[in-house]
Amino acid sequence: MHISEGVLSAPVLLAGAGLTVAGIAAGLKRMETENVPRVALLAAAFFIASLIHVPVGPANAHLVLNGLMGFVLGWVAFPAIFVGLGLQALLFQYGGLTTLGVNTWNMAFPAVLCSLLLSPWIRKGSPRVFLAAAFLCGALSVALSGICVAACLVWSGENFLPVAKVVLWVHLPIMGVEGVLTAMICGFLRQVKPELLQRSVTGGEGEGDAGT
Amino acid sequence: MAPLIELSGITFGYPGKRVFRDVHFALEAGDRVGLIGPNGSGKTTLLKIIMGLLRPGAGQVRIFGKPRGSEKDFREVRRRIGLLFQDADDQLFCPTVRDDIAFGPLNLGKTHAEANGIVERVCALLGLEGFEGRVTYRLSGGEKKLVCLGTLLAMEPDVLLLDEPTASVDVETTARIAGILNRSSCSYLIVSHDRRFLVKTTRTMFHLKDGVLAPVTGWSPPEAPA
Amino acid sequence: MNPISETFAGRTSPVHRLDPRVKIVAGTVFSFLVALSDRPGALMLSAAAAVGLLLAARPPLREVLKRIAVVNGFIVFLWLVLPWTVPGRSLATAGPLHATVEGVRLAALITWKCNTILAAFLALLATESPFTLFHALAHLRVPEKIVQLFFFCGRYVELFMNEVRRLRTAMKMRGFRPRTDLHTYRSYAYLVGMLLVRSVDRSERIHQAMRCRGFTGTFPTFVDFRIRRSDGVFALCFACFLTGLVVMECTPWLP
Repeated sequence: MHISEGVLSAPVLLAGAGLTVAGIAAGLKRMETENVPRVALLAAAFFIASLIHVPVGPANAHLVLNGLMGFVLGWVAFPAIFVGLGLQALLFQYGGLTTLGVNTWNMAFPAVLCSLLLSPWIRKGSPRVFLAAAFLCGALSVALSGICVAACLVWSGENFLPVAKVVLWVHLPIMGVEGVLTAMICGFLRQVKPELLQRSVTGGEGEGDAGT
Repeated sequence: MAPLIELSGITFGYPGKRVFRDVHFALEAGDRVGLIGPNGSGKTTLLKIIMGLLRPGAGQVRIFGKPRGSEKDFREVRRRIGLLFQDADDQLFCPTVRDDIAFGPLNLGKTHAEANGIVERVCALLGLEGFEGRVTYRLSGGEKKLVCLGTLLAMEPDVLLLDEPTASVDVETTARIAGILNRSSCSYLIVSHDRRFLVKTTRTMFHLKDGVLAPVTGWSPPEAPA
Repeated sequence: MNPISETFAGRTSPVHRLDPRVKIVAGTVFSFLVALSDRPGALMLSAAAAVGLLLAARPPLREVLKRIAVVNGFIVFLWLVLPWTVPGRSLATAGPLHATVEGVRLAALITWKCNTILAAFLALLATESPFTLFHALAHLRVPEKIVQLFFFCGRYVELFMNEVRRLRTAMKMRGFRPRTDLHTYRSYAYLVGMLLVRSVDRSERIHQAMRCRGFTGTFPTFVDFRIRRSDGVFALCFACFLTGLVVMECTPWLP
C-alpha cells in the first residue's frame, strides 16, 4: 500500500528516507553495471504489476509482487523497488514524492528479509519446496509490508491507530493471493526460463551459483 | 440460413486516415474464403472488427444472425469464432503446450479431465503427439504456429479467421496447416500474401484495396477443396 | 491511463521553459515543507503558489482531473475512518457513528496538503519528459547506477504496457473472464511470467544493439542544461517564498 503525501510526521519520513538510502547502497554494491538492464526489467515488471488488477471476492486488488522482487533480486530489490516506485510517482503521480523513502522501505525491507530467511529453501532444488518457499516469500512480504505501513501510521500519531488496524485487516486476503501468484509466477519461470531465477544473473548475492 | 458473418456498410478510419468505406461482406456456412490486398489496406482491421476488438465508424456487424455492438455481444462471438493472430508470440502465454491448448476449453467451462482429453485430440490432429509437455516459448516458429492453431481448434469454433497463417513458417508446416484446414469442418477466412497456400485452401477470393472490398472473379483453383 | 507528460510535456509555458534541475530541487523542497506544515497561513500560501504555478503551466484539464482521482484514493480511505475515530468534540451523528471536529480537521488537513503537493508536482515535474528528468538527476549528482536504472526502466515500462495489452487481448479472444478462482490467478501469473521471459530476451537484444553502437555503460548527456536568467530569477523568488513559509510556520503569532 502506498502512503500518500501529507500523512506522516517528520521523524517517520526522515527515518524511512535514511533507512532506504542505506538499503539502496547495500543493493548497489551487489549490482554490477552489466546487470542494470536486467534489474531495470524487474523494476518495470514491479511497476506494471500495480496496473494489473485481479478479482478478490467482490473487489479488485492490484498486484504488489514485492515478494517476487525479493525472491529474484535479494538486496538488489532495494534499488529496483525504489526506481519502480519513483517512476510511478513521476509518470502517474501515484504514491508520493516525500513518502518515496518510506514507501520503498515498507516494500523492499520485507522482500529482502523474507528472501534472506527463505534463501536455503530457494536453493534446495526440489520443485515442491521451491514453490512453497515462493508462496511464503510472496505472502509474508505482503504481510510484513502491511505491518510496516501500519507502524508508520501509528508512529505518526495515535489518531491513526484505527486506520492502521484497517490496513492490517485489508492485507490479510491480499497475503493469500500474493502468495499464490508469486508461487505460480516462480513456477512458470522455473519451467520456461530458469536462468532468470539465478541471482548471479540479476545481481543478487552469488551464493555459490555459477558466475556469469 | 442467415450468414455466419455479415458486414453491411462498414466504414472505419483513424484520425486523418480512412481505412475503408461502405464495405459489405458475408461469410456463409461452409465458405472457404481468401482475402488479399496490399500492406496497410486494412485486412487485419477487418478481422478485428469481426471479433469486436475495434468498432466501425458506421455500418452494422451481424454475427450468427444477431447484431453485435457491445462488448457483451461479442463474448458469444469469441467463443465460436477463432482468430489466429499474425504473431504467434501474441497468442501463446502459458508455459507448456498442454496449458495453452487447454486455456480456451477451461474458459468455456470444461473440467480439467475434459480439457486434457481435448489437448490430446488436438495434438493428434496437428501431428504434434508428444508435444503436450513441451515449453511453448522454446518451440520453433512453425511449431508455435501449429500450437496457436491448436489453441483455437480446441474451442471447436464455427469459424476460423486466420491472419497471415504462413508468415515466417517453413514449407513443411505450411503444407501441414493447409491439410488441417482442408480436413476441418469450420468455415474460414484467410488473410494472406501466399498465393500458393490460398490456392490449396480457398474457394472464393476477395480483394481489399483503397478502402474497397471486391470479389476476385475467375478464382477457381484446380486444387480447391470440394 | 497514460503518463500525463505525454501530452503535457510537449506544450509551452513559462513553467515549461524553466531548467529541469531547478524544477526538481524546487519541487522536492516545496513538497517536504508542505508535508510538514501545520499552520493555516503557511498552508494557504503554499496552496496558492502551487495552484498558481499549475495554472501558469496550462495543463490538460481532463488529465489533471484523472490524476486528482487517482491520488486521492488513499485520502478517501482516510475520510472513511478518521472523522469517526478521532476523539474530540462531536460534529454530526449518523446512527451509531459520530464524527468529530478534530477528525474532520485532520482529514481535511491531509487532503489539503496532498493536493497542494500534487499541484506543485504537476506544474514542476510533469512539464518535462521523463528522460529529460533522468538527465537532470544525473546532473544533480544522483549515483550513476540509479540514473541508468531509471533510463532502462522507463524504456521497459513502455514496452511492457504494450505487451500486457496484447496478451490481455489474446486472453480475451479465447473467452477469458476474470473471476476469483485459481484459473484466473494462474492466467495472470502466466501473463506476468511471459512478460518477464520475453522481455529478458528482448532486453538482451537491445543491449547488444547499444553495444554495437558504442555504448560503454554511461548514457551520454547530450542534453545540455544551461541556467538562464529566468531560472535564476525563479530560483531566487522561490527560495524567498519558501523561507517565508518556514517563517510563517515557526512564528507563533502569525496565523
